[in-house]
Amino acid sequence: MASDGTKQSAAIAARLAGKKAIRSYARKLADPEDIKDLNITPMMDMMTIILVFLLKSFTSSATLVNLDNNLSLPPSQTRLAPKQAVPVTITKRVVLVEGEAVAPINSGRIDPQLKRDGDNGYYITPLVEMLSKVARREKKIAEMTGQKFDGELTIIADKNTPYRLLTEILYSCGQAEYANFRLLVLKNRD
Amino acid sequence: MTKRQVRARMRRMREQFEEAEDEHGEINLVPYMDIVTNIIIFLLASVVNQVPLGTVNVSSPTFGAGGGGDSQQEKPALNLTVTVGNTGFTLAGSGGVMPPIPKLPTGDYDFPALTTKLTEIKKAFSDETKATFNADAITPYEIVVKTLDAMRTYKDEKDQGEKELFPDIVFAAGIL
Repeated sequence: MASDGTKQSAAIAARLAGKKAIRSYARKLADPEDIKDLNITPMMDMMTIILVFLLKSFTSSATLVNLDNNLSLPPSQTRLAPKQAVPVTITKRVVLVEGEAVAPINSGRIDPQLKRDGDNGYYITPLVEMLSKVARREKKIAEMTGQKFDGELTIIADKNTPYRLLTEILYSCGQAEYANFRLLVLKNRD
Repeated sequence: MTKRQVRARMRRMREQFEEAEDEHGEINLVPYMDIVTNIIIFLLASVVNQVPLGTVNVSSPTFGAGGGGDSQQEKPALNLTVTVGNTGFTLAGSGGVMPPIPKLPTGDYDFPALTTKLTEIKKAFSDETKATFNADAITPYEIVVKTLDAMRTYKDEKDQGEKELFPDIVFAAGIL
């Protein structure tokens, strides 16, 4: 009789222990102490917003210039921001239209053979030809978009460019129907 | 409850839990985050390297058909021309040529004196905004831009504000 009671209480104890083990396992599954995966969704949201903001500020800067030994811009007090326009770059060595080399520069002068009227001339033939092509394209775009061709150029010139060379280039630009110039400068931080 | 029963129950529970986890599981965003982080670092580096740029507007002179006779008496045009020479600035207008503004003893151009002189002219011709710019062939572009700065605006002593002088500048020297 006594042994039956002992057996019964042992069985109850075993069942209780089993249930206890199951309950503690269920608790462990439901609430793990170790964090398996960190929730990175808010961080992703934040990063995506930063990315969009940076991309926008990066693309909104109208003109991207690579400044090096051959091209250093002069400082100015101007408050006008750059605007999108066809860039004509005058470095110490070459004249470029939209990043494409057009005429080489030697000691601040264009080779007289590239000028229609020789050494004293203002008309730089390859520059006029190139800008005329660009002007035709710009006019077509303006026509298709219903806008007016404004004939604006951004002049990105090295600070030591002599005035004579500058006028030759501006004259050639004028011959290709570009009469308004935006001289790109470094804004003085005052 | 035997040990076997306990183990079987635990296994069932684990399977149920894993199934539930799979159903509510998230997309693995880690590779996307790697890409975004790299792009952000690249863009931040590019933005930091950007220099503050501005523009100075100039135009080349254009020819226009002469206007018809007007009955109203028009103000005589100023035709202000600023020339940068080897020795300093020369100002000329319809009335004649003003005394030149020489260079400073240091050899630099006297930009404040040019602005002062132009301010006096502006007071007499307050409606005029156009001026013609000319320079020697060897004048560096930096001096050209500084002269244009001196021609465009001045600081008013009374209210310390920036006021316009001759902002519509036209380059001379045979440009058409």
